[in-house]
Amino acid sequence: MKIADWLEGHTVTGVTVERDASLEEAARAMLGEPECRDIYVTDAERRVVGHLGFRRLAGVLLSAHRPTQSRRQLLERVARGPVREFMDQRFISARLDEYVHDVLHKYMERRIEDIPVLDGDSRLVGIIRLVDLVRAAIEPSDQSFD
Amino acid sequence: MEILLIGVLLLSGLAFGALGSHLFGVPRVVGYILVGMLFAPGLLGGQLGMHDTQWTQPLVSVALGVIAYVIGGAISPSQLHRLGWSIVGATLGEVSGAFLVVVGAVLLLGMTVVDLPLWSFALVLGALAPATAPAAIVAVVHQYRACGPLTNTLLGMVAIDDALGILIFALVMAIVGSGSLGGALGTAFWEIGAALLVGWGSGFLIERLSRCFHEQSMLLPLLLGGILLTVGLAAWAEFSALLAAMVLGFSVRWFCGPHAERLFEPIEDLEETVFVLFFTFAGLHFAPSAVIDYWPLMLTYFVARAMGLFVGGGSGARLAGAPRAIWSNIGFGLFPQGGVAIGLALLLLNYPTFSQAGEIIVNLIATTTLLTESVGAISVRYGLRRAGEFCQNTPKGKTAQ
Repeated sequence: MKIADWLEGHTVTGVTVERDASLEEAARAMLGEPECRDIYVTDAERRVVGHLGFRRLAGVLLSAHRPTQSRRQLLERVARGPVREFMDQRFISARLDEYVHDVLHKYMERRIEDIPVLDGDSRLVGIIRLVDLVRAAIEPSDQSFD
Repeated sequence: MEILLIGVLLLSGLAFGALGSHLFGVPRVVGYILVGMLFAPGLLGGQLGMHDTQWTQPLVSVALGVIAYVIGGAISPSQLHRLGWSIVGATLGEVSGAFLVVVGAVLLLGMTVVDLPLWSFALVLGALAPATAPAAIVAVVHQYRACGPLTNTLLGMVAIDDALGILIFALVMAIVGSGSLGGALGTAFWEIGAALLVGWGSGFLIERLSRCFHEQSMLLPLLLGGILLTVGLAAWAEFSALLAAMVLGFSVRWFCGPHAERLFEPIEDLEETVFVLFFTFAGLHFAPSAVIDYWPLMLTYFVARAMGLFVGGGSGARLAGAPRAIWSNIGFGLFPQGGVAIGLALLLLNYPTFSQAGEIIVNLIATTTLLTESVGAISVRYGLRRAGEFCQNTPKGKTAQ
């Protein structure tokens, strides 16, 4: 099954924030979509330029509660920058014309749970969630991705 | 037998440190140093076949390389810009104050070791003075849930002052090692220039190679390999290994851009292991006669360092436009000194010129570290309370020291 077909049956809205947004703004956007654990960072033209995971975001926002901190963590706490300074620029993504079983390998290799699907202009058009793929694999009634 | 002793030092050091902290409320470093003293060549170490401490030197060099990498990668240029002039100014004042006051006080005291010129001895002690112990300061901040402008300034300062301390130490060792002013310029040019070049180049290579590895477990050997290669090249070509490792950390962070933590977290996890080794190794060198013979020097170093940090940090903050609550209290927060200073002192034993003076300096730093770790925590607490930055009056349980 092509990813474009998979997304028709599995609509997941991704959370996006602009690269100059603060971490607090990113957290608010994420909390507005409780099912999402990832934020995709966009530029002014809404092209996705980076990824910020929930654990990373929480780690920085709650850093004052850690009993020990490295020098790097201290500076993240004292001189905190916008999301563009915390995002991963080398994130995994998929394209609409790829096959679903091809992106499975990316999941397994990187140990991630969501893969953003981007169009030709790198804009976010959907999310493939590992949990939906597992459900499809074990539930005969569900839509298969083979 | 060395491997056996390292295992014994690590395990018994951790056990004694934790027990001492839990039962008597003393800093863990007391336990680490006591264990080292117990396994000195003159005591149990001799029973294990360890008749000298030469075997520790390669380990000290590599371990300091690890710490320098972590220190170099702690800050990015954009963070430095955001820190603001008041924190940067206060740090410059603190570092230069500690260095200058200690150098001046040692020169005035006029006490040195045979065969070593007084000015060399004073410069080296001055170069050890700016290093602080962020862990002890963070522990107090966390214990009392301190928050506010003084807390932020203090945390920012202790995160970057070790980098300046290492830079001063590298410069001083280049000058002291050459003997004459003309020679000093040439040596300093090579030691620093080559270190910058090799550190920067290695950083570029390591960051590019890291893109091939997605598994976190593969990054540790890559990073350690990079640090070892840099430190080994420095030893072979006789340039500053410390500076090269620090520039390696900075350039890895620079080339990686955002999301660089994956290239630092695996190494940061080694920091406590390195500090246990440093303090137990310092214990191995413990000589009661050095403490007895050189107590005026130790007292002078302790008082001069405290004065330099207080006056320099406060003046720097005031000149940089920080409010009164910061410049009048910042000095109280900077006294703790720990693993970095001990590591630098141990490194001196690698230099033939410092074979005797190095032993004295290791004993001096170990003794004053015990004092600064104990008195320093009280001092940090006093400064933060005086500035009204305790968000919670009751300590939140005992914390690691």
